[in-house]
Amino acid sequence: MTMSFFLFFSSATMATAPYNYSYIFKYIIIGDMGVGKSCLLHQFTEKKFMADCPHTIGVEFGTRIIEVSGQKIKLQIWDTAGQERFRAVTRSYYRGAAGALMVYDITRRSTYNHLSSWLTDARNLTNPNTVIILIGNKADLEAQRDVTYEEAKQFAEENGLLFLEASAKTGENVEDAFLEAAKKIYQNIQDGSLDLNAAESGVQHKPSAPQGGRLTSEPQPQRECCGC
Amino acid sequence: MESVLSEVVAVEDLLRFEKKYNAELNAGSVTKGTQFEYAWCLVRSKYTADIKKGVVLLEELVSKGTKEEQRDYIFYLSVANYRLKEYEKALKYIRGLLKTEPKNTQALELEKLIDKAMQKDGLVGMAIVGGMALGVAGLAGLIGLAITKSKS
Repeated sequence: MTMSFFLFFSSATMATAPYNYSYIFKYIIIGDMGVGKSCLLHQFTEKKFMADCPHTIGVEFGTRIIEVSGQKIKLQIWDTAGQERFRAVTRSYYRGAAGALMVYDITRRSTYNHLSSWLTDARNLTNPNTVIILIGNKADLEAQRDVTYEEAKQFAEENGLLFLEASAKTGENVEDAFLEAAKKIYQNIQDGSLDLNAAESGVQHKPSAPQGGRLTSEPQPQRECCGC
Repeated sequence: MESVLSEVVAVEDLLRFEKKYNAELNAGSVTKGTQFEYAWCLVRSKYTADIKKGVVLLEELVSKGTKEEQRDYIFYLSVANYRLKEYEKALKYIRGLLKTEPKNTQALELEKLIDKAMQKDGLVGMAIVGGMALGVAGLAGLIGLAITKSKS
């Protein structure tokens, strides 16, 4: 009786473990105004397209839990306003980002031409391990294309960036944009190139089961086999 | 939106924009951009005095800004007042913004959170008043009891 109560209680505490994810990754979304940064975020977190969305005021924030290699990861995404008057202050949001989505609009060449300036900021204000993914948004507007896939791909390769064309409107590649960056960050953790203890890694590790609680002093069967 | 409301400015950032603002102030004229940057940092401070200073700077800006800039000022005035727990003012500002942009998701989310905070405050207020009423009634009862006892 006592044993079954104990088991019930311990499984109840397992179910209400403080975190249902193992890692938190901080992301930022940067790029010129009107390229669709907020729409990408909205499509990713709400699975909906926001038509005629106004310019972002300052910063916006969104979260979603994703899964990479069987690990639940919470993405905390800071979406920055693209207008110049916000730029000086939004720079402080770059600090401690594990991933950065650098967005341009495939139908507006000027937004592509400004990438080097966004990249300079991203490089200077984040740590060397920050994963940057270049996103060519509005890929659904093929007829108005102003930047070819090939040249953007080349730019990405020359600068060591991941690259995808996506559409916040149709949802094409939006998931992948966020996931590809997460996979790369996770890989960096696995191979040890990303130091989780570094102050500004942008990654927090959350043990998914409570540790050091009163019940754990009791001998308990190993819940997880090692190495799986 | 909760994170936008609760997030705290890094001290080094606040100091940097303060320095820029003071330099322009000493030189005789502060640009709208510098004043806004400084105010935006101030309203994200953990200190009430800073937030209040940010409010003053933003209020100054409202009359000077273009339409596009005014929405920034109004939005952050609402955020600042929310953080000061001045929910009535926060609501007034955000509803002003919603009048010109009824579908602005940032403004709609903020309005919802202000409403929620006001309801919570209202409930707490009611609980306090209710508790006091109960206390007064109890006290009256005790006095009554004392009087009847002393009379007997």
